[in-house]
Amino acid sequence: MANRIEERLAKQKAAGKKSFVTYITAGLPDMDRCMDLVKAQEEAGIDIIELGIPFSDPTADGPVIQDASYRSIQKGTTLRKVFNAVKGLRADGCEVPLVFMMYYNTILHYGIDAFAKSCREIGVDGLIVPDLPYEEQADLKEALKKEEDATILIQLVSPVSGKRIPMLTKDARGFIYCVSAMGVTGQEGKFYRTINDYLKQVKEASDIPVFMGFGIQTAKDIEPMKDIIDGAIVGSHFIRLMEKNNYSLDVAKDYIRTFKEEMNASFFKA
Amino acid sequence: MDKRYYGEFGGQFVSESLMNTLSELDDAFEDAIKDPEFLKQVDYYLKQYVGRETPLYYAERLSEKYGTKIYLKREDLNHTGAHKINNVIGQILLAKRMGKTKVIAETGAGQHGVATATGAALFNMDCKVYMGAEDMERQKLNVLRMEMLGAEVVKVTSGSNTLKDATNEAIRNWTKDAEDTFYIMGSAVGPYPYPKMVKTFQSVISKEAKRQHMEVEGRNPDVVMACVGGGSNSIGMFAEFIDDPEVELIGVEAAGKGIETGMHASAFHGGEIGTLHGMKSYLLQDEDGNIKLAHSISAGLDYPGVGPEHAYLHDTGRAKYVAVTDDEAMDALMELCHLEGIIPAIESAHALAYAFKKAEEMTMDQSMIICLSGRGDKDVNTIADYLAGKGYMN
Repeated sequence: MANRIEERLAKQKAAGKKSFVTYITAGLPDMDRCMDLVKAQEEAGIDIIELGIPFSDPTADGPVIQDASYRSIQKGTTLRKVFNAVKGLRADGCEVPLVFMMYYNTILHYGIDAFAKSCREIGVDGLIVPDLPYEEQADLKEALKKEEDATILIQLVSPVSGKRIPMLTKDARGFIYCVSAMGVTGQEGKFYRTINDYLKQVKEASDIPVFMGFGIQTAKDIEPMKDIIDGAIVGSHFIRLMEKNNYSLDVAKDYIRTFKEEMNASFFKA
Repeated sequence: MDKRYYGEFGGQFVSESLMNTLSELDDAFEDAIKDPEFLKQVDYYLKQYVGRETPLYYAERLSEKYGTKIYLKREDLNHTGAHKINNVIGQILLAKRMGKTKVIAETGAGQHGVATATGAALFNMDCKVYMGAEDMERQKLNVLRMEMLGAEVVKVTSGSNTLKDATNEAIRNWTKDAEDTFYIMGSAVGPYPYPKMVKTFQSVISKEAKRQHMEVEGRNPDVVMACVGGGSNSIGMFAEFIDDPEVELIGVEAAGKGIETGMHASAFHGGEIGTLHGMKSYLLQDEDGNIKLAHSISAGLDYPGVGPEHAYLHDTGRAKYVAVTDDEAMDALMELCHLEGIIPAIESAHALAYAFKKAEEMTMDQSMIICLSGRGDKDVNTIADYLAGKGYMN
């Protein structure tokens, strides 16, 4: 079976369109409404959704996602519960590409092999594990392989990856996640000083789409790098937007449609 | 073999942004410890500034009472009052050598923060110390000390507001500023090469102690003992004895209110293997894989994990790890005050408490070294509250 992320991105490429990814913390405002939010985003045409599995010590995240993780844990969100919810989602016919963004300890605790199996069976298409750099990925990759590589481990690249870029992009699948700045999620408007050179370097090394994330709020923010990247990822800003608007599905849909339109319009203008 | 690992423990579980930083750090560190000039510099400051070497004191009255020779390695006599400064001198000289102008550190009780602030003042570096809001309240005097020394103490209000969260916040800020900032980790934890660096700079403890014991007894001690939080004084105390199989190595963790209550800080009792703060090791976790809060009367042992080399020494059986309760540690603390006129840190009192138990199976022909990692001045408020039956925060 083909991977939903790769299928989607192939279509996007064929249509000459840039992709949009959002991040939401699983279990907020509660698990049912969180899944409604996934479905609403699918309706609005989101390309990929990152579901954050909350962890007690999210060292790659800034205050917004830290706080969201903390609240979600308080509400009783666990990996098992998220798996169950996604199972229900897939049973309802939701086919949006889903990526779990999570910390490695959560996987180790669940058991690496059992985790890879659950991901395949339930339909998790990709994984982003920010505290699992390339050198530490062997165990997880082996487990995913045993499950026919049904789930992709997404590679992150940072502004200081430099010489590591060819290694990181070589066997990467799905998309490359370029972090826009040093540090954590949610530092608005502070992209790395040589952001475009860095993105170009990654783009040249990569055969698959290159996305940028961290600190993006609107399509305008990525205007300066519109010719380089193939997509954008918004996390902290989207969570704040949902919090402010009581998780209104209409607000979510509007935001996604607008972002996608503006992003692609600006690309066409260029 | 992957040098970043101790058996299955250790590694570098950090974001991609830090991988080059760690690799540069590793190169600089390996280069420095092969450079006689660098080592001379470290020795100079340890001698002239820290006040080394520290005595290996034969505790006469304790020895008499417990029926075996008890030696105390007096790390409490170091400048700033604990072993923490040994490591700070090494790391800050390395930071200087690497051309960094800013240092950051995490601190729980404040001892490592004070040591880092001290080193930063000495070497004219900008210093930020991340400290949990709750710990800042508990350790007001150490906050004041750090500020007097010119450091900025950053209040951390995420998660549980304690050492674990201060470490998270230090890692986040390091990721942001790694290009000009050196992260001085205080314990034998973190991503490689931190556990190795901390061990290297703390091994001065056992280098001295081994020689000092040899001079008096003409042989190695039978038992070497130290308290274990993250495990920096203990790995320094063990280092030179690891390859001497006749020496029994014992690490003493904090059992808090008792292992069975769940209110403890013993990663080896009830912990399971996981990843936190850049390393794979034993960690206290709940049933969902979130990190649990540690509990101990001693802020310095109040950490949910343990250094990766300790995990390895534990699994291979080379070292034994035990735990003593708050009450046992406080009894031992008072006993050292009364019998030897030394007020130890509550952390160090944990090692003493187990030493007294261990002594029961030893004879007057045998000897043990206990690392007295720090002095108890910082703990007088906690001790007063404890004696007044008020318990403690956390």
